[in-house]
Amino acid sequence: MRQRMGHVAKLLIGLWLAGVAVAMFLVVPQYEGLGNAGRIMIMHVPTAWVSVLAFAVSASFSGLYLWKGHVAYDDYALAAAESGFLFTALATVTGMIFSQVVWGVYWNWDPRQTSIFVLLLIYAALFALRSALEDGPRRRQLSAVYSLFAFVTVPFLIFVAPRLANSTLHPNCAFIAGSQCSGVTLGVGRIGLLGDRKIQLLSLDQQGEVVTAQVQVSEPGLRGEHLLTPSFDLASGKMVSRPEFPGLKYQLGLEKVDLATKSVLLNIEAPGTGLLDNRITLFTFLASITGFTALFVWMLTLRATLLSVQWALAQREGTRA
Amino acid sequence: MNTFLEAGVAIYVALAVALAVWGGIFLYLWRIDRVAQALKQELERDRARTLAEGEQRPATPRATVTRVGAVGRETVEK
Repeated sequence: MRQRMGHVAKLLIGLWLAGVAVAMFLVVPQYEGLGNAGRIMIMHVPTAWVSVLAFAVSASFSGLYLWKGHVAYDDYALAAAESGFLFTALATVTGMIFSQVVWGVYWNWDPRQTSIFVLLLIYAALFALRSALEDGPRRRQLSAVYSLFAFVTVPFLIFVAPRLANSTLHPNCAFIAGSQCSGVTLGVGRIGLLGDRKIQLLSLDQQGEVVTAQVQVSEPGLRGEHLLTPSFDLASGKMVSRPEFPGLKYQLGLEKVDLATKSVLLNIEAPGTGLLDNRITLFTFLASITGFTALFVWMLTLRATLLSVQWALAQREGTRA
Repeated sequence: MNTFLEAGVAIYVALAVALAVWGGIFLYLWRIDRVAQALKQELERDRARTLAEGEQRPATPRATVTRVGAVGRETVEK
């Protein structure tokens, strides 16, 4: 009976995630300005979240192994770390595809990209450590300790480091309602950084209530320069014109104007801001998180079962301590 | 231009590719899962059989031999 329930649950995972894929491509509305490229968020964000969950599970089982000493806990810790690595790689690849569409390059060492790359290296080192040691209690203990230390870096690399940097193009500050991109305040003639673009405020022109800024934008590596003219309505306190960065889907917004000091607040405006306000998108997003979490649980138990079978066979042959 | 990349068609092609990839991964996981479960059950049966055989095996005959040597008496249990 239990086995039959397990089969039904696994079939449900298959159908559920197939449904999420159909919804992602055909049901979720296109994101304003991003078109079909924005749909990848339905897969990218949940895989990143599940990777954090997987690393947390790995650390928990590592702690349990150090406490209780049961080999099964080590199997689960390894299985969770491997699943986490796989989901992190998936999040990285889907992010790279989005990056190519929106930023024009697959990889530009953005703080978010760099931190996830470091995270991949940290967990790759765990697998290297395991493979470098002879099978036995020493390997399991060292792996458990390493896994605990590795998990300490996860919240920092996933949640803290990318938010510390002002020069990130990652749209976490634009897509999620309530978060902030702080932007940069510039006086006339001054230079600043928005994302990986150097910007310089050349002048401010006022016509009636509308103030227009002349902003020179340099491409990364100063490969080219473009003149953008965002504008701001003093009467309504709202942006009027938001030109796109050359080659990007992101726009340059003039958020505040102080005529007394001749300074302005310039910021990156992502076209998909507030996309989760759409109920269909929100439900598909939640369904995706549920599906990927269930998939992780299946992969975890499957890999742990395989490891325990391997362990039992090795023990029977007398080759495992 | 390739028909598969035309505006109205490309999204269906992408969906078909995504479903095919997911179908492949799902079948792979399903197959490994079945094999792993079968192996686990086989090992459990094997272990139960070994334990049962151990219980049914007659007790090992034991004897006490007293070896008389030049240096005292040594009792060896066999």
